[in-house]
Amino acid sequence: MKQALQRHRQYLLTGVSYVIPMIACGGILIASAIALLTLLSPNAMTPAGGPDFSAAPALKTILDIGDAAFKMALPVLAGFIAYAMAGKPGLVPGLVGGYLAGTTNAGFLGALLVGLLAGHVVNLLKKMPVHKYVRPIMPIIIVPIVSGLVVGVVMLKVVGVPIADFMKFLGVWLETMNEGNVIVLAGILGAMIAFDMGGPVNKAAFFFGAAMIKEGNYAIMGACAAAICTPPLGLALATLMSRTLWSEEQRESGLAALGMGMVGITEGAIPFAAADPVRVIPSIMFGSMVASSIAMLGGVGDHAPHGGPIVLPVVDHRLIYIVAIVIGTIVTAVTINLVKRLTEKPAAQAEGARR
Amino acid sequence: MKIVAVTSCPTGVAHTYMAAEQLEKTAKKLGHTIKVETQGAMGIENELAQADIDGADVAIFATDIALERPERFARIRTIEVPVQAVLRNPESVFGKI
Repeated sequence: MKQALQRHRQYLLTGVSYVIPMIACGGILIASAIALLTLLSPNAMTPAGGPDFSAAPALKTILDIGDAAFKMALPVLAGFIAYAMAGKPGLVPGLVGGYLAGTTNAGFLGALLVGLLAGHVVNLLKKMPVHKYVRPIMPIIIVPIVSGLVVGVVMLKVVGVPIADFMKFLGVWLETMNEGNVIVLAGILGAMIAFDMGGPVNKAAFFFGAAMIKEGNYAIMGACAAAICTPPLGLALATLMSRTLWSEEQRESGLAALGMGMVGITEGAIPFAAADPVRVIPSIMFGSMVASSIAMLGGVGDHAPHGGPIVLPVVDHRLIYIVAIVIGTIVTAVTINLVKRLTEKPAAQAEGARR
Repeated sequence: MKIVAVTSCPTGVAHTYMAAEQLEKTAKKLGHTIKVETQGAMGIENELAQADIDGADVAIFATDIALERPERFARIRTIEVPVQAVLRNPESVFGKI
């Protein structure tokens, strides 16, 4: 059972690995087009209140390209989940199911489920005993048509609408949340991001944020983006703040962590956490929770599925984003140094704990 | 011992390469020869040739996502571990071989 769950997680993550660059392309191009438009002609609004691109054809082109990438995100997600499960024949029902998840508004959740369904259907079809005269037409006719039909009918007639309703509910819930709940959600996201520094828990929060970009909610990713960079940045700052608490080697990792933090790679914190998980992980979780809460309360939105100072150009409410990162970084650094100071017989122990 | 390994993670920009480096470092320390292929966001890099795989004693998969081109490893003993295991405690991973 546990193994089966682990396999399914691997399938889902495979789909995620293919879709992240897709969301990056779409999210950043669309955000850039809109940002540049507001710079060029701040009053270009359509009667409906959206940005009006009629006077800026070049930006409209960029917008359209980003839009194309976004439209393919769900098919790619579902397609490659099915591909991970069933290989080549998984692609057809996966892509078709993912496309239908888009048209039925079942969104990323629909795409995740339909990708798994497509993979299982194809794997069942592959196991079916068939006469050897039929075998050659299995992969090019029977499997694609039957699996495509099954997946399509399930999506259109069975699960599409309920999932779409749930997604709508989720969107409304996220938008109408009161401040207390906002802090709780932001805190949970921040804690998840820092907890395993790029591992599965981090990725769950991250992918929730990335998927919500696709649904038009940028706040989740905004909170994640601030939380993503504070663990490495905070630890880097901690090594700079106190030379006595950290070994030479750790101060060097601190510089590397600084660089990784700037480009939004939480993994920069791993060398520290690996050497001293009990003290480091709670400290960076605390710092990330502070950063994500400030970002979310301040209305920070991030249009790219990535975090750290590097995404500043595609962030809404940039000043608060910077404030969130700076405060989160300082909180992380002060916390870990304080904890170390309170519990440490200095240097020697830290040296011994490292491999 | 001759080892081949593949590393991959969902985003494919950091863990994949950190795990590869860690495997190489630890293998050297323990006196094994190792060749590591990364399957990151840039696709397959430092690709293992069939001859590398056939000539090795064991294959380590530190892969959090589905393996690309798994058919290459049909005839070799394999060990599967999460990427985190390699980063946290690489020597225990080698303890399994």
